[in-house]
Amino acid sequence: MSAITCDQARALMLDPEGSTADLAHRPDLTAHVAGCAGCQDWMHEFQRGALAWADVPAVDFTDEVLARTSGLETVMRDIPLLAEMDPGPGFAERVLLATSKNPAARGWRARVAAAWWTMVRRPRFAWEAAYVATVCWVLVFGNPVGAIEWSAANIGTVARERMAPPVREIRADLEAWRATLAPEPQAVGAGAAGPRADAPAVARIWQAAVEWMRQASSSVVEVIVRAWDAVAALLGAEPGDAGASTEPRDGPARSRQ
Amino acid sequence: MDATDLTSLVDRCRAGDAAAWEAFVRRLQGRLFALAYSYAGDREDARDLAQEIFVRLYEARGQWPAGDEFLPWLFRVARNRSVDYLRRRSVRRPAVAVDEAAVAEVPDPAPGAEAQAIESDRRGLLHAALRGLSAINREIVILRDVHGLSVQQVASILGVPLGTVKSRASRARVELAARVMALSRGRGAA
Repeated sequence: MSAITCDQARALMLDPEGSTADLAHRPDLTAHVAGCAGCQDWMHEFQRGALAWADVPAVDFTDEVLARTSGLETVMRDIPLLAEMDPGPGFAERVLLATSKNPAARGWRARVAAAWWTMVRRPRFAWEAAYVATVCWVLVFGNPVGAIEWSAANIGTVARERMAPPVREIRADLEAWRATLAPEPQAVGAGAAGPRADAPAVARIWQAAVEWMRQASSSVVEVIVRAWDAVAALLGAEPGDAGASTEPRDGPARSRQ
Repeated sequence: MDATDLTSLVDRCRAGDAAAWEAFVRRLQGRLFALAYSYAGDREDARDLAQEIFVRLYEARGQWPAGDEFLPWLFRVARNRSVDYLRRRSVRRPAVAVDEAAVAEVPDPAPGAEAQAIESDRRGLLHAALRGLSAINREIVILRDVHGLSVQQVASILGVPLGTVKSRASRARVELAARVMALSRGRGAA
């Protein structure tokens, strides 16, 4: 026999017609009322008619009784429906992707690797890495601005020393090229440089085109040679200047921080 | 669910068996989703919450208790995650009343669709009625009556005295029944 509560006992003592329940047929109710002073008083009051629907509207009372009987039965029958629900398609795959198929969840090494890649893929990572590298550079090698200052002060000397030999070589090559392109001296008695008057028309046209190309090329090479001379003069690539030292002069030394 | 199967699955998961974990997820997804839904009251939120619970379980799979202690532990973890989730959600956005029509799943127009629709309707009604209960009563009904935990286990999970669970369980059921009836009448009238 299961024990019942006061609420259950009081509900059992009532029925919709307002009569008391038959206590003889409810041993659990009898046992409860026998051991509960509050329910005994409640039952006596009810039997005397003192309660007689005064406190509780009929509709609430009916609801209460129905809720405790057929309603409760229905709910207890239906409630297992809530134990399992379909989460929808793809839910298990989604969970697996977030757990066993996710490298970040496999172990501490994978987690560290995943954290590293997450950090590296941040947009600001390149800036941060450059900042750290600069700080390390300055701490280890000193202020790089000193070297830049020295380079700026000595760039002319360095250029003169390094550029003079190639300038001379290229100039010599250009001269040789110009000599190759120059018109060959005409043989004595060969007549005019132009095509012979009795040559076929095609040959004369071809010869004229070749002559025109030769003159144009010669002009272009001449322009290039002049430009190159101008650059060489600007850099001071004269033989007397070629031996200038590239060693740092008495300028500001590279400072260390 | 076969308890022996579950115990074996749990043991294999604890040993790091990926196939066992997949089987575990497929077997318990309906149950944990249902629990998450009881707390979240919204299908999308419940999916997120159920996923969070699974992730938490996966992270702690080396510490899973063995045998009969597993299911109560699982529900404790799920319940704690759900409470955290609701707390976060309440900060993120105001709680909304559950629309019982939205709770009912859309039935398939397939054979047996009518029975499925009726079942879905009853489930929706129960969920809506559960929403009306106080938090403690709702949790007692969910853990005790829906998921079949013992009174002691429910008391332990909720951190309340045994007597509180005993006295509230019966009252909560009656209150739930009254709410279901009221909602049914409301639907009938509408």
